[in-house]
Formats: sequence, structure tokens, C-alpha cells
Amino acid sequence: MAAVESVAMGDGADAAGEGRQRLELAALSAPAVLFTVGMIAFPLVYTVWLSFQSFSSTGKQSFVGLANYAKLISDNEFWHGLWVTLALYVLSLALQLVLGVWLALVLFHARRLSGVVRTLFISPFMMPPVVAGMMWLVILDPSLGAANYILTSFGLPPSDWLASPTWVIPTVALIDSWQWTPYVALIVLGGLQSLPPSVYEAAQIDGASAFKTFQRITLPLLLPTIVTATILRSVDLLRFFDIIYITTQGGPGNASNTLNIYGFRVGFEFFNIGYSSALMLTLTAIVFGAVLAFNRLRGAVAW
Amino acid sequence: MTARAALARFAFSFLAAGVAATAAHAADFDWKKFQGKTVTFLANNNPVSQALLAHKADFEKLTGITLKVDSYQEQQMRQRLVTVMNAHSDEVDVFMSLPSREGQQFAAAGWYADVSAMTKNEVAPDYDFAGLSQALLKAATYDGKLTSLPMNIEGPILYYRTDVFKKCGVGEPKTIADVEAAAKKIKACDNVLTPFVSRGLKPAVAYTFSNMLHNIGGSYIVDGKSALCSAKDKEALDTYSRLLRDYGPPGVVNYSFYQISALYRSGRAAMAFESSNELRTVMEGGERLKDTALIPFPAGEAGQVPTAIGWGMAVSAYSKQPDAAWYFVQWATSPAVQKLMAVQGIAPPRSSVASDPDYRKWIEEEPVRKQWQAALDVLAAKGSSEVGYPIVANPESREFIGQAVQDLILKQKSVDQACADADRALDALISQK
Repeated sequence: MAAVESVAMGDGADAAGEGRQRLELAALSAPAVLFTVGMIAFPLVYTVWLSFQSFSSTGKQSFVGLANYAKLISDNEFWHGLWVTLALYVLSLALQLVLGVWLALVLFHARRLSGVVRTLFISPFMMPPVVAGMMWLVILDPSLGAANYILTSFGLPPSDWLASPTWVIPTVALIDSWQWTPYVALIVLGGLQSLPPSVYEAAQIDGASAFKTFQRITLPLLLPTIVTATILRSVDLLRFFDIIYITTQGGPGNASNTLNIYGFRVGFEFFNIGYSSALMLTLTAIVFGAVLAFNRLRGAVAW
Repeated sequence: MTARAALARFAFSFLAAGVAATAAHAADFDWKKFQGKTVTFLANNNPVSQALLAHKADFEKLTGITLKVDSYQEQQMRQRLVTVMNAHSDEVDVFMSLPSREGQQFAAAGWYADVSAMTKNEVAPDYDFAGLSQALLKAATYDGKLTSLPMNIEGPILYYRTDVFKKCGVGEPKTIADVEAAAKKIKACDNVLTPFVSRGLKPAVAYTFSNMLHNIGGSYIVDGKSALCSAKDKEALDTYSRLLRDYGPPGVVNYSFYQISALYRSGRAAMAFESSNELRTVMEGGERLKDTALIPFPAGEAGQVPTAIGWGMAVSAYSKQPDAAWYFVQWATSPAVQKLMAVQGIAPPRSSVASDPDYRKWIEEEPVRKQWQAALDVLAAKGSSEVGYPIVANPESREFIGQAVQDLILKQKSVDQACADADRALDALISQK
């Protein structure tokens, strides 16, 4: 009985200790939590509040409820922007994943690659996007640039590149892929290096061809890594801004006017902060939705 | 005494009293009045502010005021300004502004402090307020409130290659039709050169297009409605886009001052319609110094109505120290400082500086500088500051002008369709309050 009592008392003391410990933990993490709330939640809530306001060109503000969201539905430029955003997203992501995996395989198998070459391979994504944008702007200039010079010296017809409404999206996708493929390759290379050698040995004993090994072993085992790379690139690509801002500002016409560029211009050049907030929140929801979907996919392909 | 004489006498005595008052204030003017204060200046990192800020130390020495400079590229500067002003923050005391673009908008939003009283009561004896370009001061005055003081005068002018013109047997263009005829001849005589280049980038088009529109005799607004589908406006849209489509460089829809200057400087364009401010960039390296002539854009049916604008310096309505801020504005727009800026290629918005011996000497050094000054004189005398629609939403109106021109350059629409689409969007902007 005494023993039971003492155990019960011990329980009470434990509970009190746990409570105190929890309090201590809460107190210790409070600054970080407050900082996070301040840095993420506040701007988000403020943007939501802004999206319910209308700002006239003179800066006068009034509450309009959901009118800004209703305006989205009838705004052709919004739907066009959404289309441009998705087209650019799909094209760039496909290019970067395919080329990234290929580059990773090359780097993985080239065991005697020097440090310099490896550094060169990954250097584009270390470059600030503004520098990359300016550099490509010069290279792709239809009259002064090197790209058309090379084309014409091989007897090919010159292209208008960024100045052609038809070619501007593929061209921007190419520039972005030039910059970010090495980043995808680096992630995939990490995944390759962590694959268990035993399955490869087994495949070798069974006499599987190189292609079959890739198709049946490497690719399925790499899927979680590829999905991670997809998530990281998706967040950036859906919010595509910097290279377009530097090279075309959404043009020619509105051929490269992504949602992010459109929202920025509505807010900071035409001063309609309310509508711009509604646009940006819609974009945020799209990005968030994509990340959630890919996260589920990652769960499904985990091994 | 007739009524008119009485009025004249009254006006004279009023003027005399004003002069006496100014003199009295000028006498006790003290540059050191705000010693120890810090003034924050939000600058657009362009040749104008660069020329000014090269003399920052002189200002600090003269006044004892510390000048904190926040310098950004134009769009980023405006972005920061919008953020600061929407928050009613006093972080910025003085900022650079383009009255022709955002003047009406910022004035309606109440972002500019009214500096009219300061220009009368708080001026150094040698400031010479009356010597500043009256047209530019007028362009910066809204509802009787003076919102900024001009730092420079600029506008698009035609740069052309005298050697190419000679080789192809073309004379100096006197009319817009001559420009097109010259472009045609040059295209036939030299198939490597781009005959004509001007702005094609959507938001940048209005700057050069407005000049052509006004020369042709068109107006943006007639009876409160957008008039791009009027005969003259359509002619302007058609001519501007045809020149760029038939004689411009490939990819001209992405061309703004940066690409135009680069193309012309490298000797690959025969005519460039670009800002007078680009003189220094175009002449860099000296290759174009001897083979270039400069003129205001040739006349249309309405003669020459060049675009003339200037960057202004404004005091923020939310500044906690507008008086100290005004001291900086005053110093920066004084005859002495504008003279220093002028010899760095910043066209002065004061005729007194334009006729100053040191500045004249600099002008006389190169024939091209003389032509540049002559073109600027025409801009100052006949210029219009209307770039895009004279409405509060001016920046947005430029989008639709640019869109119409691009649609025509890219042959995506007929003139009637392009102007009708633009008019519809612009009418909505005009009716917006």
C-alpha cells in the first residue's frame, strides 16, 4: 500500500515537473515563435486585409470586401498571366528535371572529374539572376547579340528570341534552365551517392543492361530525390519574376506577363495595392497547393 | 487714372513690396541654420543625381547638415517611395520625381509638400527662383501648389549619322515624311545599318511617341474621351510603328534607351530618336563624336512640339523637417550647383546657366555639343511636358499606348482595332477617380 502511495505521489511530482519543463520549453522557444509569427504571419494577414481594400490612383482607400477577387474572374490579363505562368512552369520544370538528372548521372560516373570542372558545372546558379538576365539579354539581342551571329554563321535563319511573342516563353525557359539545371543536378547527385550498392551488384549478377538498370533501379530509387527537387523548383518557377523583369518586363505586348510580374506592376507601378494583394494571394494559394500536392507525392514514392 | 494704369501701378507696388520682402529675408538667410541635422534623400541613380551627388561634400560643408543618400534604379526607387509614402513614414525627406509621369498622381495622394512659400521666404540671395524654367515650374504646380523644383531639362531628340546621310545622298530631315524617306534610302544604300531606331518597349514608348503625336497635331484626350482613333492619332500610331517595323532593328519591341544608345554608339544605326540625356552615353569612347548631328524631332503637320520634361526635387509631405529638407533642394537647384552639373552634360533648367561663360566654353569644345544645346533651346521654348495621358493614372495610360504601338509593330492588329482596344481601356482609366 505504501509502495502504491509512493508511486502515486511520484506520479504527481512527475506531472508537476513535466508541466514546469513544458513551461520552460515554451518560454525558451517564445522568441523564435514570436519572430516567426512577426515575419510570416503578420505580412500574410496584412496582405489579406489589403486585398479587401480598394486604392484609387490618388491613394484613397476604401473597404470593398471581396470585390478584388470578383474582379480577378473577369480580368483577362489575370487568366492570361495564369496561362503564361503555367506554360513557363511546365516547360522549365521538364527541361530542368530531364537535363538535371542527366547531368547528375554524368557527374556521378565521371569519377576523375577535376574540382574546377565540377565548380564550372554548378556555377550558373551561384550567379545573381540580375547578372544572368543582363548577360542573356546581350547574347540574345537580335541585332547585336552572339546568338544570332552563331545561327547565321551556320546558315540558319536568325531569331527574334525575347522580342518574339511566340518564342519569348521558350527562350525565358531556356535561360532559367541554363541557370537552375545544375542545382537540380546537385540534388540528384546527392541522391545517387546515397543509393545502396547492393541492388546494383544484384542487377549486375542478373545480367541487366545499363538502360534496364537505370529504368528499373536508379529511377525508382531516385524518385523521392527528384520530387524534392521538383518541390524546390516549383516554388521558384510558379513565382517566376527576376529574369523576366530584367529581360522583357512582361513583353513583348503581354506575352511573358506572369502572374507575379502582373501583380508587381499593378501594385508598384499603378499603385493599386488592393488588387495587387488579391493577385499575389491567389498566386500564393497556387504555390501552396502545388507544394502540398508534391509533398503527398513524395510520401507515395518514398522507400 | 485709367483702370488699366491703376492696375499696373498696383501691380508694380505689389511687386516692389515683394522684392523688398525677399531682399529682407535674403539678408538674414543663414546656410548654417540647420547645422547638425540629417536629411535623407531618395535618389534615382541616373546621370542627373550622379552629377549632383558628386558635390555632396560641398553641401555638407556649407550647411553642416548630414546628407544621407538612398540611391536606387528608377523603378526600384519608385517602389521604395510608394512603400514609404503609403506608410506615411518620415524616413524620406527629399525625393526625385518626374512631374510629367507621376506629378498629378502624387499631388492628389498628398505626397508632395507645397514648397511655394519656401521659394519666397527661405532663399539665399543668389538663388534666382525666377531664373528657373517657367514651363517646368508650371508643369510641377498642381492646384496652385508648387510640388518640386526642376533639376534638368531633357527630351527626345534625333541623333543621326552625317557620314551615312552623305554617302546615301540624304539631306537633314525637315519633316516626319523626310525621316521616312531618309530611312528608305538608307535601307537601299546600306543593308547592314539599321536606318531608324526609337523606343519599342511597352512602358517606354510614350516618351518618344508623344513627340510624334504632338508634331502631327494629335491629342490624347478630346472632350473627355480617349482619342487614339481620331484621324491624327491614328496617323501617329501608324507612322511611328511603321518606321520601327520597316526600318527598325529586329526585336525593337524590347528596345528602350539602353539598347538604342548601345546600337547607335556601336555605329549600327543611322538615326536614333532618343533622350537628350543619352548624349554622354552615345559619345562614350568618342567614335560618334565627329559623325553625329543632333536636331529636335522633325516637324509634322502641327510643326515642332517637342517633349520637354525634367526631373524634379520634391520635399516629402511626411518629412518632420521640411525646412532643412528645403535647404538641400535649394542648394541642389541653385545656379552655382546647376552650373557644375551642366559641364557634366546635365542640361540646365535655367537660361542663366545656359549662357554662363564656363558652360559656353564646354559647349563650344565640340560641334555636337553646340547642336545639343540648340536642340535643347528649342525644347525649352516650344516643349510640351505631356508624356502619355494628362490624368492621375498617367503611368498606367502609357501601358495602353505602348500596347497599341507594339500590336502594330508585330502586326497583331490593324490600326483601327489597336486604337479601338486602347481607347476602351483608356476611357476606363480617364473615368477612374
